Amino acid sequence: MNEYPPGSIEERSRELFDASVEQVDMRVRSRLNQARHAALDVARSKRSGFFRVPAWTSAAGVTAAGVLGAAIWFGTPFVHQFSAPHPAPISADAQNLEDLDIVAASDGGSGDAIDMLQDDIDFYQWAADKTASTDPGSVG
Amino acid sequence: MERFATLSHAWMAWEGPAPAPEDVALDHTKELDKFLAEVERRAFRMAQVSLRDEDDALDVVQDAMLKLARNYSAKPSAEWRPLFFRILENGIRDLQRRRTVRKRWMAWLPGPKEDPDEEAQDPMDNVAAPGPDAPELLMQDQAMRQLEESLRSLPARQREAFMLRNFEALDVAETARAMGCSEGSVKTHYSRAVHTLREQLGEVWS
Repeated sequence: MNEYPPGSIEERSRELFDASVEQVDMRVRSRLNQARHAALDVARSKRSGFFRVPAWTSAAGVTAAGVLGAAIWFGTPFVHQFSAPHPAPISADAQNLEDLDIVAASDGGSGDAIDMLQDDIDFYQWAADKTASTDPGSVG
Repeated sequence: MERFATLSHAWMAWEGPAPAPEDVALDHTKELDKFLAEVERRAFRMAQVSLRDEDDALDVVQDAMLKLARNYSAKPSAEWRPLFFRILENGIRDLQRRRTVRKRWMAWLPGPKEDPDEEAQDPMDNVAAPGPDAPELLMQDQAMRQLEESLRSLPARQREAFMLRNFEALDVAETARAMGCSEGSVKTHYSRAVHTLREQLGEVWS
């Protein structure tokens, strides 16, 4: 596109300049070509550097993942199951209640087991009294 | 609903998976290659007009290419032209300043006053690429020499404005960006340059 009036200084200058560009010798063209390729190498290396993941990010990622994993592992209730292999001691009251449950459950809720237990107690009481009365030498 | 309509347009505009970063980088490098191939010889000739020296001109152009690739290649390609010519003009100005300082120091030193960097030129270096017929070439060459002489006689800012506007066809805004000045200054520099060139070359070229 020519925006200048025909025959003007501007038009003539542009034409002469364009012609002189076409007349640039081979040595210069070759050197310009080399310079362009050197510049493109720089641009290429710069862009590949832009898209490359920096080396330190992988180490940081591994560390962060490790910390997160540890936090999840030690921070959940499961820890009690795994970190305390021996059961906690059960109190005496709890033991008695448990025995009572077993006795109560053993007869299907009929109450016979409790009657039997009562009978045994009476028997042991009688046996103890009998021994004390028939063996006076044993005392003193 | 309007929001969904917008979303649906956006969805329809998306025609497939995003290109891989490597592909984007390859396209970008190709684009830069095309741009530099387009401007390199023109930039060389502009630098040569200002510096009068082929090797200096080559160095300045090479430097401008590297700086553009290193610092601005990630910018949109539409911005490359004014940026490239700004780097080039800065390089030309720096070299001219260094020359002035060197000349000043040379004047104090004893011995030959020629520039030590000036080497004997190989005549084959000046062999032009094949082109138009010899008489036409001769006339063109003569006219171009006159133009170059006139351009060199202009103040640096006027010469820059004229070359960027006329040779490179940058618009006023782009030229202002390339020169690092206001659009008003560009218009003033350009208008003065054209006026002077018309005075100097009008009769010779008519």
